[in-house]
Amino acid sequence: MSAIKSLPRLRDGALNLADWLVEAQPADAGALAVFAGTVRNEHLGNAVSGMTYHAHRGLAEARLREIEAAAEARFKVHVLVAHAVGVLAIGEVSVIVVIRGGHRAEAFEACRWTIDTIKQAVPIWKEEHYVDGAVRFLEGVPIKPVESL
Amino acid sequence: MRVTIECCGASARWCGADAITLDLAAGATGNDALDALAERYPDFSARRDSVAIASGDAITSPTAPLFDGDVIALIPPVSAG
Repeated sequence: MSAIKSLPRLRDGALNLADWLVEAQPADAGALAVFAGTVRNEHLGNAVSGMTYHAHRGLAEARLREIEAAAEARFKVHVLVAHAVGVLAIGEVSVIVVIRGGHRAEAFEACRWTIDTIKQAVPIWKEEHYVDGAVRFLEGVPIKPVESL
Repeated sequence: MRVTIECCGASARWCGADAITLDLAAGATGNDALDALAERYPDFSARRDSVAIASGDAITSPTAPLFDGDVIALIPPVSAG
């Protein structure tokens, strides 16, 4: 197992994209697809100053690893994911999906499926901080099992 | 019997606490715990059916029996990303 693969997928504080791209590209891979989610300064017309990410740590870590394994089995690609918890500022990276695969089609498809699944199957919650001082949890979706997605 | 409810995410706001202790009848299930919370906390009551239950590091069935000393977590709708 590579060093990066042994790290917890749930990380305190903002993620550094470069940290999650250090693995060598497999010799049989011709595609590298990356998605990074960042904190935006606006939501539904409200000016946002930052975001706190809350998690059920044990279940979130287990689900992130389950999603990696499911995506690798489904799309025959190499998958690495990470998600931040704690307070993040505007522009900071909250979630990363790294896909290494044979061709771009399966790499893009796996990347899309993986981030969409993270959003529906991982017990993490966004609490937005607004410029006017208000704080509010975002509405989410009832948690789903990974195998249903 | 006595169980501890950990309130994750927005459920801590709905219930006004990060953790709650409930006294339930022997043989009670997760659903019984959710019903008890819904009776006590109106903000939780409105969202009860959207909440899942975790035990340890796994989602558990709300029909599973609880036991004295159990710790379960409320998993409200998620918003990762």
